[in-house]
Amino acid sequence: MNAVLQFLASYSNIIDLCLLNSLIGYALFLSLSANMFSLATGGFMALGAYCSVYMTMELGLPFSIATVAGAALAGVSAALIGAPVLRLRGDYFMLATFAFTEVVRVIALNWDSVTGGALGIVNIPRDTQTWHLALVLIAAIYLVHTLRGSYFGRAIAAIKQDEVVAGTMAIDVFKYRLLLFVANGFACGAAGAFAAHLNYFIGPGDFGLLRSVDALSYPILGGLNALFGPIVGAVFTTVLPEVLRFSNQLREILMGGLVVAIVLYLPGGALSVLDFKIGRPRNGKAVAETLRAKP
Amino acid sequence: MRHSIVVLLSSFAIVVGAAVTERPARAETPVKIGIVQATSGGSAALYGVMQKNAAELAIEEINASGSLGDFKLVGIYEDDGGDRGQSVNIFQRLINQEKVSVILGPTLTTSAFAADPIAQKAQVPVIASSNTAPGVTNMGDYIFRTSPPESMVFPGVLAYVKKKSDPKTAAQIYGIDDALMKAAYGVQKAALDEAGIRIVATETFQKGDVDYSAQLTKIKASNPDILVIGGLAEETANIVRQARQLGLGPSTRILGANAAISTKLVELAGSAAEGFTVGSSWFIQFDNPKNKAFVAAYRNKYHSDPDTFAAQAYTSVQIFAAALKKAGGVSDSKKLRDAIAETKDFDSNTGPFSFAANRDPVVVPKVLIVKDGKFTLTTD
Amino acid sequence: MSTFMQQVVNGISLGSTYAVFAMGCTLIFGVLNIVNMAQGAFFMGGAYFGLEAANMGLPPLLAFFVALMGGGVLGILADLIVFRTLRARGAHRWMGLVASLALARMMVGVAQEVFGTQVQRYPQNMFQSIAFEVGGVRIQLLQIVIFLVSVVLMALLALTLQRSSVGRAIRTVAFDEDVARIVGVPVGRTTMMTFFLAGALAGASGMLLGNLFNVVSPFMGEQMLIKGLTVIILGGLGNVPGAVAGGFLLGLIEVFSVAYVSSSFRDAIGFGLIFLILLVKPTGLFSRFEERKA
Repeated sequence: MNAVLQFLASYSNIIDLCLLNSLIGYALFLSLSANMFSLATGGFMALGAYCSVYMTMELGLPFSIATVAGAALAGVSAALIGAPVLRLRGDYFMLATFAFTEVVRVIALNWDSVTGGALGIVNIPRDTQTWHLALVLIAAIYLVHTLRGSYFGRAIAAIKQDEVVAGTMAIDVFKYRLLLFVANGFACGAAGAFAAHLNYFIGPGDFGLLRSVDALSYPILGGLNALFGPIVGAVFTTVLPEVLRFSNQLREILMGGLVVAIVLYLPGGALSVLDFKIGRPRNGKAVAETLRAKP
Repeated sequence: MRHSIVVLLSSFAIVVGAAVTERPARAETPVKIGIVQATSGGSAALYGVMQKNAAELAIEEINASGSLGDFKLVGIYEDDGGDRGQSVNIFQRLINQEKVSVILGPTLTTSAFAADPIAQKAQVPVIASSNTAPGVTNMGDYIFRTSPPESMVFPGVLAYVKKKSDPKTAAQIYGIDDALMKAAYGVQKAALDEAGIRIVATETFQKGDVDYSAQLTKIKASNPDILVIGGLAEETANIVRQARQLGLGPSTRILGANAAISTKLVELAGSAAEGFTVGSSWFIQFDNPKNKAFVAAYRNKYHSDPDTFAAQAYTSVQIFAAALKKAGGVSDSKKLRDAIAETKDFDSNTGPFSFAANRDPVVVPKVLIVKDGKFTLTTD
Repeated sequence: MSTFMQQVVNGISLGSTYAVFAMGCTLIFGVLNIVNMAQGAFFMGGAYFGLEAANMGLPPLLAFFVALMGGGVLGILADLIVFRTLRARGAHRWMGLVASLALARMMVGVAQEVFGTQVQRYPQNMFQSIAFEVGGVRIQLLQIVIFLVSVVLMALLALTLQRSSVGRAIRTVAFDEDVARIVGVPVGRTTMMTFFLAGALAGASGMLLGNLFNVVSPFMGEQMLIKGLTVIILGGLGNVPGAVAGGFLLGLIEVFSVAYVSSSFRDAIGFGLIFLILLVKPTGLFSRFEERKA
C-alpha cells in the first residue's frame, strides 16, 4: 500500500496531466468531427486560465465558480470569433484560429496588471483535485458518446463527409459548426482553469501555438473515429516524455519518430480498429444514409 | 516441468542466501543529492552545464577524500530544460521517489519561484548557485543560495564606472520575460537613480529574440554615456555585438548583469566585448589556494574553464558536505538545515564564505572588465 | 529623420530573410495544400550546414551554397520519408501536419545531439566588420549582401517558375493535381522538386539570418515558422510574389512596432493584422498577383 501511495505522490502530477489532456482531447474531438482544424485551443485555455485565476486570487471567489466563469468566457469568445471565422475555408480557418491564439497570448504578455505580464502569475492555489478532472472527463466522454448517436451527431458526420451535399439536405452547416466550436471553446476554457490551478503558475508562453498543436495531436493520434481515441492520444503524448526521461535529446528524437511512425502506419490513429474511410464519396446517397443510420 | 521447478527453487535459494549472507565490509550510507540544472533549452543551458559539471566534480572529490566517513554522496542529475513546469515535476519526483536530502539548483530564477515551494513544504533544503533575483530566499527557511543577488553586486560596479568616467546619461535594455532579467533591470535602475545618472532610454526584448536592431537604433539616437544590459550571457553577447555594429562606439561603456559573466559572452561577441564591465563574487584568477585547486581540477576533468556559477555550485556541494558532517546525518532535516544556515567563514574558492541571516551569501563583490578577450579584475 | 531611415534599413534587412523563408512555405502550400511544420527545421538545418562549411574554411559564398543544398536535401528527405507515403495512402491533410511537426521535433533533437544546445556563431568574415555611413544612417556591408542575395534568390525562383519546364510542372500541380496527372506531368517528381526548392530556400534564409544576427542554435527554427505562417497569410496562400512582399512588410512592421510602440507589442500588431486580413480579405493583401479560390 505504501508503495502505491508513494507512486501516486511522485506521479500524481502526471496522472492529473493525463486527465487534463484527455479532456482537451475530447474538446478537439468535437471540433475535428466537423472538419474544423482549430488552433484556437491555446487562446481559449488562456482565457479560461487567466479569468479563473483572477477570480480566485483577486476576487476571492470559490474555485467552482471561477472555473465555470473561465469556461464561459472562452465559450463566449468562441461564439464571437466563430461567426466570422467559420465562414472561411479550411486552411484559412486554421490560420485565423492560429492568429486568435497568438493575439490572446500577446495580450496576456502585455496586460501586466491583470495577467502578470511576461512572468505570469505564481503561487496559484492548487485547487484542482484529481477527482475534479476525472469527473469532468467522464462527463465529456458521456456527452460525446450521446452526441455521436443522436441526430446531431449524424448531422455532423454528414457535414464531415460532404459539406455541400449536407447543406442541401436542410442541415444548417454553419449552426452546427458554431455550436461545436462554442462547445470546444467552453471545454478548453474549463481545461485552462483546471490547468492554472494545478501547476502553481501560468504564463503567456504556456498557451501558444505549441499547446494548440499538441492538443490537436491527441485525437488524431488516438484515432478520430474511436470514442476513446483522445484518451489514448493524450496519455501517450503526456506519459512518453516521462518514460523517455533517461535522455533529453534522444527523447525528442524518439517522440518525433514514434509520432511519425503512427501517422504513417496507423493513419486512422492508434485505435483504428474500425475501418476509417478517408475517401470522399461525392454522392448524396451516402450522406443521406448517414443521416438515417441507426445509432 | 519438474526439472525447471528445481532450477527455479535452487536459484531462488541462492539469491536469498546471497542477500542474507552478504555483509558489506563497511556500512556505506548513500546521501542523495538532487542536481536540477538545465542542460538544454536555450540560453539557460549555458549555466546549467557548468553547474552540473562543478557539482559532480565536488561530489567526486569529496567521496574520494573520505572526509565524510561512512557517508557517500550520490548525485542524481535531472535536466529541467529551463522549463519551470519540468522543474516542478522533477522536484516532486526527487523528493517523493528518490528521497534526496538536498537539491542543488534550479538554474533559472523563474523555475525557482515555481519549484522551491515544493521543497520548502517537504523540508528539503535547496541550495541554488545561479538564482540572482531578489526574493528567492524569502520563499522559506530551507532555501539557500551561494549566488549573490544582483543588488549586492551592481552598485559596486556602478561606483567604479562613475569614478572612472563619470557618466551623466544611461540607456537600459532588459528582458521582460525572465524573473532574473527583470529583477536585474530593477536593481540597475535603482542604482542609476541613486547615482544621479539620467536614464535616457529604456528598451526591452523577449527571450529568444535575435534582432535588437530596432531597440539599439533608438538607444543610439538617445546618445547615452553608458549602456546597461539586464540579460543572460547569450542575449547580452548579441546585444553587445549588434550595438557596436550599429555604431555605438567604444566610448560608450557597456555594463551588464552578474549573470552575463561567461566565456560564452566573449566567444559570441568577439572583439565587441572589450571593455564590458560587470560585477561578480568570483573570478578565475582569484589568488587563493582553494580556487587554484578548483580551477585546475575543473580544467583537468572538463577541458574548459569554469565560470562564476560553476564556482558557486562547487561551493554549494562543499558547504552541504560540511553541514552533513556537522549534523551527523540526514535523518533530521531540521538539524541539517540549521547546520547549513550556520555556515560561517567556510574556506571556499571565493574566500571565506558565510550565509547571512536571510540565507543569501555574504560576499565582497569585485568588478571585472573584459580585456583581451578575458574577464580580468579591475586594478583599482 | 536619420533614425527613421535607419529603422527602415533594419526592417528591409530583416524582411529580406523573412521573404526568402516565406517563399519556401508558400511554395509547398500552393503545390501540396499543406502547411509544412518542418520548414523551420529546414531553416535551422541550412544554418548549421552553412556553419560547418564555414568552420571548415570554405569561403562565404561556397558555404552559402552548401546551406542551400543542405536545406534542399532535408526537404527531399522529408518528402521521401513522410509525405510520399501519406499521399500514396490518400491520407487526410491533417496527418501531414501532425507528421511534419513530429519530423521537425526529430530534427531539432538530432541537431541538439550533434551540435549541442548552445548558441554558436559564424566565424568572422569580411562582411561583418565593414559598414557605410550614408547621411547618418549606418548600413552594414553584411546587410547589403544579404539583401542582394535575397533578391537574387527571388529572381531565380521567379525565373524557374515562369520559364523552366520544372516550374511549369510545379504550377500545373499547384493548380490542380488531377489535371496535372491528365496532362502528363510527373506529379511525384514534381512534388519532390518542390520540396527541394522549399527546403533550399529555408536553408538559405537560415544562413542569411544566422549571419545577420550571428546566432545559430537548434531552436532557431521554431520562431521562424510562426513568422513564415504570418507572412504567407499576409501575402496570400500559394502566392509567391505575395510572400516576397509580405516578408518585407513583416520585417518593417516588426521593426517599427518595436521602435515606435514597444517591443512586447511587436507580435500583437503582426497577429492582429493577420486576423483582420483573414476576416476581410483572406486571400491576402497581394492577391491581385495570383488568383486563388478562397
